[in-house]
This record gives sequence, C-alpha cells and structure tokens, in this order.
Amino acid sequence: MRVNFIDDEGVERLVSATPGESVMHCATEHLLPGILGECGGAMACATCHGYVAEEWLDRLPPPSAQEREMLAGCIDLRPNSRLTCQIFLTEELDGLTITTPNSQI
Amino acid sequence: MDEAAPLMPEVDFAYDEIPDLHDRLARLRGHGPVVRIKYLGAPVWAILDHQELNQAFNDLEHFDPGDGYRLISAPSMGMTLQTMSGEQHRLARAAVAAPFLPASVRGYVEALIEPIAHELMDRIEGQREVEFVQGFTRPYPFTVITRLLGIPVSDEAMLLEWAVKLIDFPWDPEGALQSKAAFDAYMLRILAERRRAPTDDFVSMLIKAEVEGRTMDDEAILSLFRLLFPAGSDTTYKNAGSLFAAVLGDPALRALARQGEKERAAIATEGLRWEAPTAMLPRLATGDIRLGGADIRKGDWLLFGITAANNDPKVFPDPRKFDPSRDHRQLISFGRGVHFCLGMHLARRELETALKVVFERYPKMRLKPGAEIEFVGGVLRGPREIWVQPYGEA
Repeated sequence: MRVNFIDDEGVERLVSATPGESVMHCATEHLLPGILGECGGAMACATCHGYVAEEWLDRLPPPSAQEREMLAGCIDLRPNSRLTCQIFLTEELDGLTITTPNSQI
Repeated sequence: MDEAAPLMPEVDFAYDEIPDLHDRLARLRGHGPVVRIKYLGAPVWAILDHQELNQAFNDLEHFDPGDGYRLISAPSMGMTLQTMSGEQHRLARAAVAAPFLPASVRGYVEALIEPIAHELMDRIEGQREVEFVQGFTRPYPFTVITRLLGIPVSDEAMLLEWAVKLIDFPWDPEGALQSKAAFDAYMLRILAERRRAPTDDFVSMLIKAEVEGRTMDDEAILSLFRLLFPAGSDTTYKNAGSLFAAVLGDPALRALARQGEKERAAIATEGLRWEAPTAMLPRLATGDIRLGGADIRKGDWLLFGITAANNDPKVFPDPRKFDPSRDHRQLISFGRGVHFCLGMHLARRELETALKVVFERYPKMRLKPGAEIEFVGGVLRGPREIWVQPYGEA
C-alpha cells in the first residue's frame, strides 16, 4: 500500500507503507522533511501535524480529546488537521493523501 | 563478572566532573548496552545503547519515572509532571501544555526571546574578553522563564537564588524547603494578580486552561512554576554553552549559523545530540525486566544514558564529529513517549534565536585563543567556562 504526501509547495511523493504503522512513522521512515514526530507517537511533541485530503476524512476514526488538545497548539490549524501519529494505516487507506504544513514549529 | 560490582569504580557519575565522559562511555559500551557503574557511591545500571534506551523510555511498566522522582524531588517540588504517572499525569500535562505548544512558542520569539538575547548582548558591548557562560548562556534561559512568568527585573536575582535551592533537597533538605516556602509565597502573589486581572500572558493562559471542564488550583500551577527552573533553565543553559563552545571553535559553523533559520535549526539540533544537557537521567525500575543482557529488578536505580545513546555509533556514525547535516531522526535528548520534554519547542527556539542574535551582534566573535574549554558533569553536563572575544582578534 502507499501514502501520498504533498508538501506545502504542492510537490507530491507517493511512498510505500506498511499496514499497522502510523502515517507519522511512514513519513519519517521515508525521510519526508515535513513531519518530525520527535516523541515517537505519544501525542507529546506536536511535530507530526498534517492535513488529511477531504475525500479521506470520513474514512478515518475521529481524533481523540487528547489529540484535539494538542492540535489546538499547532500552527495553521484547519478543520482537516490531524496528528499523523494517530492515523494508523490499513489496506483500506491505500492511497491516503496527506498535505504537510509549511512548518511544524 | 560480579554483577553487583561497578565498572570504572574510580568514577562516581553523580559526584565527579568526568571531563572525559564520552571516552569513558565508549569504553563502557564495549561491555554491553546496559552496564553497572557507580552513582552516589553505589552501583547502578546505565543504559548506553540507543535501541535499549528508546525501549526503556517507552516502557512505563518497568520504567515509570514517577516512582524515582517522588523520592528525589517531590518533597521540595511538590507533585509535578515528573512525579505523576498514568491518568493523573495525562490530565495535568494537558492542562499546562498550551503555552508550550508551537503556536504559543512561536509568538514568544519576537516578543520575548529575541529582546532578552539583545539585552544580554548589549551588556558585553565594548568588552574585549567575556566569560560567555556567566555573560550569556546562563542568564539567557533563566530570564526567558522569569519574563514568561511576569517577574519584574528587580526580583530576578532573588528568584534565581530560590530556584537553585529548590532542587537541592537530596543534599540540603532544610534549605530546599525554605526556598520552596519563599518561592511559593512570591509566586502566589503573581498568580493572585493575574486571577484578578487576566491578560494573554503565560500565567493567564495557565489560569484559563481547562481539561475535562476543570481549571487548575494554585498548587497545580505552582508545581509547574517550580519545575520550570530546573527543567527549563538549567538544561537549556548547559546546552547553549556546549552549542556555542562547538560553534565558536569552528569558523565553518560560525558561517553556517549566519546563513538562515534552517541552518540554525540544524546546528542547534546537532548541539543537542553532541552534548545533551541531561547526560544521564536517574530512574527507578518499577518492574523486573531483562534488558540488553542485564537482569534489572524492581527497585534498582538506573541511569538513562541519553548522551550515550546520542553517541551510539550504530545510530550516529562518527558520533563525536559535530555535523549539522546528519540524520537527526533518532535524537533522544528530549526523551520519548508521554513524558517527552514539554519545553522542547521553547528550548529549540531559544537555542536558534541565540545563534541568530549573537552572530548578528558580534559576527567576529571567537573563542579566546589558548583558553581551554572543559565540559563537566555526568548528570547535567556543559562547559564550565567559555572565554570569548566578541570582536575577534581586534
């Protein structure tokens, strides 16, 4: 399966992914510069913020209260903002498209 | 091998200065990823390799930090994010997180951090030689915290005295508790003022913060204030010292620091890896576990070898080379997991801003030729002194 990452300048990168891993993990494994994920996926650092493409939003479980609290402190928050460490990949999410923000910090 | 006996028994990692720490850690690593060394006069485990340390940070069943911190810091610090575990920690952290998240911290850079860096640079104007730890790296993060808390400049020295004593409980319980009383009384007045007339500052954000419909009482906010100084000031000042010791000693790094934000971020990150300020972090094992070939028992003391893991050649090749261009994904200076350093964004912006302002103001600053820099400390680590010439050789 694959995930499509689009950076803030519109450059797309379609990368291979493994079911079960998080979108954050997938991004950092492929050295995508837009996602940091420094705490390792514990919703503690707010450096894996990404925007989920509209057509995929309904297919994801909604963010938890804790994720929403952390998102509130991210830069350039939008209705489709998520912490990518909280999106876990399944085969049904093949082709998931995530836009990375201009900056995590 | 007698498992109880420490390696390198001539060194106590709590008390000794260990200028050759990295050489020693490299030699210890030859004995395995988890070894016995001496700390506070007794043998403890030290986790040296990155893989094992990453595992330990994420394993709260066997390495919950709360148990250890409740013994060494709770009497003078109160119940802080360090001493709390589980759901209590989650809620307390959520309540105080907002002013430490990127959107807030970005706002502090221009409003607070840059002006403080400039003020400190003003003070060394005209001087041919300056001791840069006392002149800049130590007062800088401390002042960021006092200004965040809205403490008047005239009271900063008094605050520094209390803050230094607060964490001395293991060595000076009476002094630590006296400082706690004085600090609390002072900060309660500031808190009461903000409760009466809230602004949009750091203290007011904490007063307004709600988690699951509840706001924080005075003690909850005070315990965060107490933690800010040891967690946010001591660490950042040690690391800022190490960072400038490295950058000032290398003309190529000085040039890189003047290029731009991305370059400064990479240099600061490499500084955090190269000489992490929390070199070794004490922990109490909260369960029996076999890790890296060692049989660790519940109640055993350990050191989380952050600086050892950041210099693990399996993860960071040629680790003692200061190389801002390396892959930093595995940096472990801020920990991992739910206790990941809450002040990470603030610390990084302070370090990056320091690089920007110092070289803007003194583009020719260099180390004083012939003045040796010695890095000291096995727990908190940084340079003892850095003698610089702000105007270069002129």
